[in-house]
Amino acid sequence: MTTVYVADTGVFVRCGGPDKEKFQRLRRAVRQAGVSLCVPKRVYEELGGDPAADAYPSGNIPYPDGFEEGWIVVADDLDYTTPLVSTMMDETRRFIANETDRDEDLTEKADTALVGLAAQLLDTGEADHVVLLTTDKPAGRAAETLLPQHGFSDRIEFRYVSVTYLETLTADEFR
Amino acid sequence: MAQSPPRSGRPPIQQLQTVADLLETPALARLYAHILQYGPVTVSEIVDALDIPQGTAYDYVQNLETTGLVEKTRDQRPYEYNGEPIALTLSTDGETQTITPALIAAVARRDEDEDIDVYIDRHGLDGLAVALAYAYEYVEGAVNHRIAARELDLSPLEAEIILQALEPVATKYADTAT
Repeated sequence: MTTVYVADTGVFVRCGGPDKEKFQRLRRAVRQAGVSLCVPKRVYEELGGDPAADAYPSGNIPYPDGFEEGWIVVADDLDYTTPLVSTMMDETRRFIANETDRDEDLTEKADTALVGLAAQLLDTGEADHVVLLTTDKPAGRAAETLLPQHGFSDRIEFRYVSVTYLETLTADEFR
Repeated sequence: MAQSPPRSGRPPIQQLQTVADLLETPALARLYAHILQYGPVTVSEIVDALDIPQGTAYDYVQNLETTGLVEKTRDQRPYEYNGEPIALTLSTDGETQTITPALIAAVARRDEDEDIDVYIDRHGLDGLAVALAYAYEYVEGAVNHRIAARELDLSPLEAEIILQALEPVATKYADTAT
């Protein structure tokens, strides 16, 4: 059974800062378990997209090391022509708009990238099981609520990445 | 225009001066936040908990007591102090901002959390107050960094950084948020 771990921007922000202890802990756990963290293109762009964020200790994230070492990988582009992917993204947009009490027009396609990727991984058979590591609660809840409605019961898990989660993380979390 | 509820019994402009001190002096803000949370406390308990010089602590407590933000609750030595929660609403040109204990607690963290310090440098205290309102929603799951970024005109990365930095304050003060 293949489990794919999808990681969001918030995971890496939690790992930032002058002491890289949480980043090293994450690195060790992922590598010991012999898995990798898969990031949507959108997340990759968010992490590198703002030079002004370098002024923040938590904006100083050594994630490029993860790409070099191969334990962080960028996911394939989302194929919006796949019926499941486009349906999931539409439904997720509505779900997030509702959870956040915003107009649906104000949520963007990019907001749904995490759930879209989870749907694509399950649909193509690349993953039997997807674990979503994120601080985006609306998106996490959308994945947990909507994917089971499309036949993926028990195959999606949302983990909220708190400080405590990262401070106590071991390889067991990825096995 | 400045308004303040009459509960502290102190006139608004006098409070405003102390509030300005609180916003400018993270150590004073930490002391006030500590008394609010743990009071009644003695000065030596404050000194132990916050690791600030005793003389400074006495000065700060006296300063806050004079303006009514801190109240002596035990009249014999060692004196004990309790905090009066502040709520000062400021309006200028149609923009309104309320200074709350949570905002003071957020400012108090700037010494220990450089992310908050950088954010205040870049966006000011008004920017911090707005971000704090989003942090409550973030903790509840009623917003994410992407929506916050668009509404606050920040990059998603900067939005996530400040939301995470304010998460402990928003969590602690969630019950008092309006």
